[in-house]
Amino acid sequence: MMASQPSIAGQAHELTCKVQELERELTEARRQLAATGEILRLISRSPTDVEPVFDAIIASAVKLCGAHQGAVYLYDGNLVHLGAHRNYAPEIIEILGRMYPRPPQLDQVSGRAILNRAVAQIEDMRADQLYSRELTVVGAWRSQLAVPMFRDEMPIGAIVIARPEAGAFSESHIELLKTFADQAAIAIENARLFAEVQARNRDLTALGDVGRAVSSTLNLKVVLKTAVERAVELSGTDAGSIFYYRPEVGRFELGETAGLDEEVIAKFRKLDIFMGETGMGEAIAKREPLQLPDIAKRPKNPLRDAALETGLRASLIVPLLGGEGALGALVLQRRRTGEFAPSVVSLMQAFADQSAIALENARLFDEIAQKSRELEIASQHKSQFVANMSHELRTPLAAMLGYAELLRDGMFGELPEKSVRIIERVQANGKHLLGLINTVLDISKLESGQFKLTLVEYSLDGMVETVRVATESLASAKQLSLRTEVVRGLPYGFGDEPRLTQVLLNLVGNAIKFTDAGEVRITAEAKNGSFVVSVSDTGPGIPEEELQRIFDKFYQVDSTSTKTKGGTGLGLAIAKEIIEMHGGRIWVESVLGRGSTFSIELPVRAEVSGAGV
Amino acid sequence: MMQRILVVEDQEDLREIARFALEGAGYEVIEAATGAEGIAKAETEHPDLVLMDIQLPVLDGYESTRRIKALPGMERMTVIAVSSFAMRGDEEKARAAGCDGYVTKPYSPKQLVDLVRQFLAKA
Repeated sequence: MMASQPSIAGQAHELTCKVQELERELTEARRQLAATGEILRLISRSPTDVEPVFDAIIASAVKLCGAHQGAVYLYDGNLVHLGAHRNYAPEIIEILGRMYPRPPQLDQVSGRAILNRAVAQIEDMRADQLYSRELTVVGAWRSQLAVPMFRDEMPIGAIVIARPEAGAFSESHIELLKTFADQAAIAIENARLFAEVQARNRDLTALGDVGRAVSSTLNLKVVLKTAVERAVELSGTDAGSIFYYRPEVGRFELGETAGLDEEVIAKFRKLDIFMGETGMGEAIAKREPLQLPDIAKRPKNPLRDAALETGLRASLIVPLLGGEGALGALVLQRRRTGEFAPSVVSLMQAFADQSAIALENARLFDEIAQKSRELEIASQHKSQFVANMSHELRTPLAAMLGYAELLRDGMFGELPEKSVRIIERVQANGKHLLGLINTVLDISKLESGQFKLTLVEYSLDGMVETVRVATESLASAKQLSLRTEVVRGLPYGFGDEPRLTQVLLNLVGNAIKFTDAGEVRITAEAKNGSFVVSVSDTGPGIPEEELQRIFDKFYQVDSTSTKTKGGTGLGLAIAKEIIEMHGGRIWVESVLGRGSTFSIELPVRAEVSGAGV
Repeated sequence: MMQRILVVEDQEDLREIARFALEGAGYEVIEAATGAEGIAKAETEHPDLVLMDIQLPVLDGYESTRRIKALPGMERMTVIAVSSFAMRGDEEKARAAGCDGYVTKPYSPKQLVDLVRQFLAKA
């Protein structure tokens, strides 16, 4: 048992040491935790600004990993940039400032971490043949540790710490630095996403403005002015303009501008800019945006020379392409030389698309407006021609009918009975022709808008009676019974009496014409402020598929009936027009083999709209 | 004494038809082919009634009627307007110009004679 005494003391010492070590580890872990916690708080507090985060990271990294100096390097996929750094002597900063930005290289531990995408260590830089000679002399360090930062498995930078003594870094320090690298990557990603969202929002707002302008107004100037102003504003350039291409003269013409003063605009307007000789022609031919980083290096042409004179050096030209070729170009201009950023190019493409839509819309609108004006004029000419023509046709017809009547009435002596019959045929055909001419005249008046209603008080009862008297002989000639059923005490109507009589005469005339046996019946009543007048027959009826088209102009159920029954196919179209001008409607119901009923619903008192006195 | 009708009509055929019809009914017919001729004949011949075509070249029927009615002693002359247009408003315009009656072409000669007879009976 005694032999165990010293070992108890040893054990106690060992335990004490262990406890102390654990306490140290715990303290360190607490400090690490505190540091990373602080960094995370910083990240969430300043999503747009990575600098304070980097400062905190590098300060903690240096302190917690037993280093003396350190820096954050950022890699844009092309060049490495020096970010936040800690405890560098002024001469070191001067050397690094000269060195960076530059592509990643193996003479720096940061370059090795980025190129190899892995943790890189220099245990003793004096023994490292690749390490930068210049920094070996000036640098106050012997060993360095670099941990790469990643986004989507691509390196975006590295954190570097340096110590004055040679030797390998401990595993725990490497792990800790990895944690810091991850946090830095998160901060960068956050800031990038934030900036992207902001930029997107801004672009979307601007595109929305232009889009709204496109859809809310056909005023092309407003749309394009909005587009070019927002384009200049968002791309942070000095000036912008939209040029229209005039294919008829093969030249561009300055449209809306932003950022150009009146004098320059006036100068640009005077230029003869031909398709072939400018960047605009080139961009249009290629159908894609064209970068001109320095127009001074371009061949001379009027627009380039004028732009150079006003101090503009770089251009971005986005073609405006429509369905039928070039509409023009959106041109951004900057005093500083150099290419425009890809994000600006894609944004301008979107603006150009919007502007092209606006131009195309306006062009189509103009075309439609022009076409409808032409159509209207053509239609007026046609109606006028038809009106004149029917008038001209009536004059000789009047003479023919007049002479025929004089002959028929024996003005020049009694005629043989046969001649009387022939003269009567001439008269009947002449009257038919006159009816056709009058119908055509009515249609031409309807089409040219000259057809006006003259509204007067009328008695529907009287109108039905007039029609009955006028058609009675036609019905009895075919041995049809013609009946009228008019409800007693109908109110007086207000409408175009002669026109309404014409409609009713047409319906009854048709009914008699197409009915070979049975009856034709006219009914009239008043319901809810409207007259309802129906004309029913026991004729052949109208096939279902014809019912819809029967009121169309020049439509006849069976075109062969034109020859046997006569008519222009215009009567019902005119009837429909007249009834609708009165604010009423006309329709037909029919059963094949049983007959048809044409009905009119007509306001007892017609509105004055569409009526003229 | 025979009653005399002045027919102002630029279409020769229509003038002739009117003449046949009216002469057949026992009237004396004076013809004029233009508005100016119509005014001159109204002044010199003092007809009992004027049939005035509306669509006359140069001096139209409205204006001719106005001028006839402005002649001394002619304020009460009966003028019947004859129109081939049958446009709404023609009749109103004719009445405004001083026409007493209105008939649209083509008219039946018989109707014309009836109308003339009615107006002369009133006068």
